Amino acid sequence: MALSAAEVERYARQLILPGFVPLTQEFLRVARVHVVGAGEVGGPALLYLAAAGVGNLLVDDGMDVAPEDSASWLYGADQVGQPRVLSAIEALRATSSFSKARPYSSGAEPTAALICAAWSGTAREAAERARLAGIPHVVAVVDGEGGQVVSVPPGAPCYSCASRPGSGAVSRPGAAAAVGALGALELLLIVAGAVTGPGGRRIDLVLGEPQARATARVPGCPCGTGRSL
Amino acid sequence: METGGAPARSGPADREPPARRVDIRDVSCPLTWARTRVALGQILAGETLEVLLLAGEALDNVPRTAEEEGHSVALREPWPDAGGRAWRVWLVKGAPRPASELLP
Repeated sequence: MALSAAEVERYARQLILPGFVPLTQEFLRVARVHVVGAGEVGGPALLYLAAAGVGNLLVDDGMDVAPEDSASWLYGADQVGQPRVLSAIEALRATSSFSKARPYSSGAEPTAALICAAWSGTAREAAERARLAGIPHVVAVVDGEGGQVVSVPPGAPCYSCASRPGSGAVSRPGAAAAVGALGALELLLIVAGAVTGPGGRRIDLVLGEPQARATARVPGCPCGTGRSL
Repeated sequence: METGGAPARSGPADREPPARRVDIRDVSCPLTWARTRVALGQILAGETLEVLLLAGEALDNVPRTAEEEGHSVALREPWPDAGGRAWRVWLVKGAPRPASELLP
């Protein structure tokens, strides 16, 4: 369905970007993105996805809002103690009327996933579920003052092959927001159809500088055969 | 305001009449190019879009941006029937570019 006049007006600034055609916006509108984690990385990412016009956001977070979650951009001080998922959806609804946010539930059938888990083990599990489901996914992990964003289009080396061990340093809110924004951008490129080949890539954010490199499959990893790890 | 159908006045004799028309006289940047781009997305390569616009930013930028994106300008002339500052521009849609150009 063609863009409405209201949508053209809302998204005019990205509709004029080179290479971004109206059909790109329509791809974003019909996308169903499963976002794992609505914390300091996932919060900014969710806002970017909603602002860009992703039509359906499936928010997946089982924690309650903590006092330090003000770094997540989504929560106010009066929401401490409330379920993150509900507070996040409330904030996203206020951001855009064109983007529908709802809690993730099994059977939701997302078309892509953005994984912003706070722990590497959770990230690996979520990435593996997305890979086995055959949906493109991006994993954004903050690490100290930087972090990494791994893009896994269908057929690309899995997250376990493509990621590198983190330092374990305490994350900085500014870095978390930057990693979340990078993760959202990588996911938008995939959903928009700008990534057509099977190659994945990893962006390392080091001292504020993003460095992108193609990912490679670890020899012997069963992800090359489509089997579980 | 956007309208379809044939242009109000004839154009170059060697060119088919526009397949579509878009009127962007009531908006400013970035909506001028955004609306034009959406209208270009609704015609086929080789077909013509008639753009009704005002002298100034729109006339300076819309044809130039269209050419930068691979379309061509077949006509550019004042259109006094629609007011003193009104112009019309015919844009011939170019071939689509590969999506990979989006990649940074």
